[in-house]
Amino acid sequence: MLKVLLKKQLAEVFRGYFFNRKTNKARYKANTVFMFILFAFIMIVLLGGVFTFVALGMCGGLTSAGVGWLYFDLMSGIAILLGAFGSVFNTYSGLYLPKDNDLLLSMPIPVRTIIISRLLNVYLLGAMYSGVVMLPTLFVYWFVAGTTVLNVICGIILFLIVTAIVLILSCLLGWVVAKISLKLKNKSFITVIISVTFFALYYFVYFKSQEWIRVLVANATLYGQNIKSSASVLYMFGRIGEGDPIATAIFTAATAALLALTIFILSRGFLKIATSTASVGKTEYREKKAKEKSAFGALLTKEFARFTSSPNYMLNCGFGVLLLPAAGVLLLIKGTEFLSVIGTVLRGRTDQVALLLCAMLMLVSTMNEMAAPSVSLEGKSIWIPQSLPVEAKTVLRAKAAVQVILTGIPMAFALVCSMIVLQATVAEKIMVCAAALLFTLFTAMFNSFVGTKNPILNWTSEIIPIKQSSTMLIALFGGWGFVALFAVPYFFIGNAIGLVPYLTIWSAIYLIAALLLYRWLNTKGARMFAEL
Amino acid sequence: MLRIENLTKTYGAQKAVDDLSLHIRPGEIYGFIGHNGAGKTTTLKSVVGILNFDKGEIYINGSSIKTNPVECKRLIAYIPDNPDLYDFMSGIKYLNFIADIYGVSPDERQEKIRKYADAFELTKDLAQPISSYSHGMKQKLAVISAWIHSPRLIIMDEPFVGLDPKAAFTLKEMMHELCDNGGAIFFSTHVLEVAEKLCDKIAIIKQGRLIKSGTMEEVRGDESLEEVFLELEAE
Repeated sequence: MLKVLLKKQLAEVFRGYFFNRKTNKARYKANTVFMFILFAFIMIVLLGGVFTFVALGMCGGLTSAGVGWLYFDLMSGIAILLGAFGSVFNTYSGLYLPKDNDLLLSMPIPVRTIIISRLLNVYLLGAMYSGVVMLPTLFVYWFVAGTTVLNVICGIILFLIVTAIVLILSCLLGWVVAKISLKLKNKSFITVIISVTFFALYYFVYFKSQEWIRVLVANATLYGQNIKSSASVLYMFGRIGEGDPIATAIFTAATAALLALTIFILSRGFLKIATSTASVGKTEYREKKAKEKSAFGALLTKEFARFTSSPNYMLNCGFGVLLLPAAGVLLLIKGTEFLSVIGTVLRGRTDQVALLLCAMLMLVSTMNEMAAPSVSLEGKSIWIPQSLPVEAKTVLRAKAAVQVILTGIPMAFALVCSMIVLQATVAEKIMVCAAALLFTLFTAMFNSFVGTKNPILNWTSEIIPIKQSSTMLIALFGGWGFVALFAVPYFFIGNAIGLVPYLTIWSAIYLIAALLLYRWLNTKGARMFAEL
Repeated sequence: MLRIENLTKTYGAQKAVDDLSLHIRPGEIYGFIGHNGAGKTTTLKSVVGILNFDKGEIYINGSSIKTNPVECKRLIAYIPDNPDLYDFMSGIKYLNFIADIYGVSPDERQEKIRKYADAFELTKDLAQPISSYSHGMKQKLAVISAWIHSPRLIIMDEPFVGLDPKAAFTLKEMMHELCDNGGAIFFSTHVLEVAEKLCDKIAIIKQGRLIKSGTMEEVRGDESLEEVFLELEAE
């Protein structure tokens, strides 16, 4: 029974590698191999590379100071944080929200067997994230301190213990999220607030970590002694990596017991949570006269409602809504200092400072790409706009307008803040604003264009169009590419052209490109949408 | 009200609808029956302008759905076989959205919502998100949204699926009321007893081709609709 469920679960996890999500047809073998190579490259080279550098920065200093265990504590801590907190919402949706929960629960399958098969999904995700930290950690340690049979075996066990801890924490946090989700109103916004807080914390730690590591390595012996005397559990845990068999045995037993307890607790509450449909108090309907809207107004309101109803949509496609004003406020507070540092680096070239500031704001605005998955998000309800007496171009316009509004207004705010601190002529300031605002218009049209050309309507989870589609990849990398294309040439031809003419040329390019894309949406795009 | 002329629609090499012609007049409740995959849904989707078709023409009140889709859609309402509505909206927001699109005045929509939501006992749930609705509740909401803009022609694909007996009765009453006021209804169903009692005319489709149509008496003669249908299917 478990074998069948595990097979089904693995087929689901890796389905995207073997089947095209858009057409539901099997991929060519070469395509599948390419997908796996790309995935391996991102995980091993990019993420693994980052943590190899972190490990190299710490390992030598800490092992030579005789506190190699502290190195394992720190790296395991990072692995657990990355693994558990990174997958908490996936755990919730993977455990409690799969569409086949009802079907499986109606079959003669023990609840515990369903949970274990579901947990495999969670375990793989957690192991993957913690692996990109733990594997470099172990290899770097073995390279620096040398290998013995004991430290290799214990090191591998440490990795398994870390993945098990990640699984336990993911399950507990997922369970808490599930409980909260059943009780809370305005879940979408609360999820976004929690996620944004987590991201802010993550980046704070990320930027501070270099300094902390430097201080830690410099005072390794002192910190080591303090931790050893006041938190001996941490000392014992770190000793696993150094090859301590007693510490390894104790933690293996403790982790196994905790894991068993977790599965026991989950199986008791699983049925209730998985089959609940929100016990939030009912909102009472009170009849009131509605305000009449135009067809476009109604479509626009609908698009905003969709955007604000989904934390996934807001977080993955609308981060710029928060980041642009935040950048503006930051520039108001620290802008003078920040821009003078850049000015010094650029040898007082104020024109280049203005251009970089403009490019930086453009780059932040590319975090907004809500127009890209918008057509795909219609999914099975696409019959509604298609059967209503509205032209397809009006539907597409409303979709593009959401991004224009949600990026244009924050961009305008950030630009006002920037202009207060930027040392430039009035003409330069006006053109920086024009270029940046027209860029937001252009990217909104571009994302609508990409989204209309590559829709996925047969998705089972909204994550697919929002996060895992080629449309989003093109929108994201396209946005970055456009910013690079804007900024880089200036450093070669800026002297000859001058900032104002350069920005004028780009403003004209963005305006023309936006108009051409708008025309495409109104004609060919509208026809494509009507025929979906 | 609705004239379908030589409608042909193919999916690849497969003909889903083959040279189908029908005429539905004001005041008629027209039933559309056939086996699974016979081409009923394809026909209905073509009528409401969701699907492009290869040959033929569809006229609604004299206007072609091909050349004047928006004008035609103003006169019709469509209820699909599976009410996939906007889950992220509440029931009332969805109804207001539809009313806005059709330009229904605030007073008129308020009156309609009150009338039909009360009839379907959905009023107290209107503020709830559609995602929390059962299949039957979604179907009721889809029905209310179809009636909210006083359409002249309603196209329905299996409208009684998921409705409780009381709601099904209410829907039948609403269908009669609409047709009494000069409207028309074209709907598919597998429930032959319902078709027999409710419809003025009936069309039977088999493998995309119309095999029999006419008034109920013309189609069934002295037999029951079920017997006629099974005989035609066996041929």
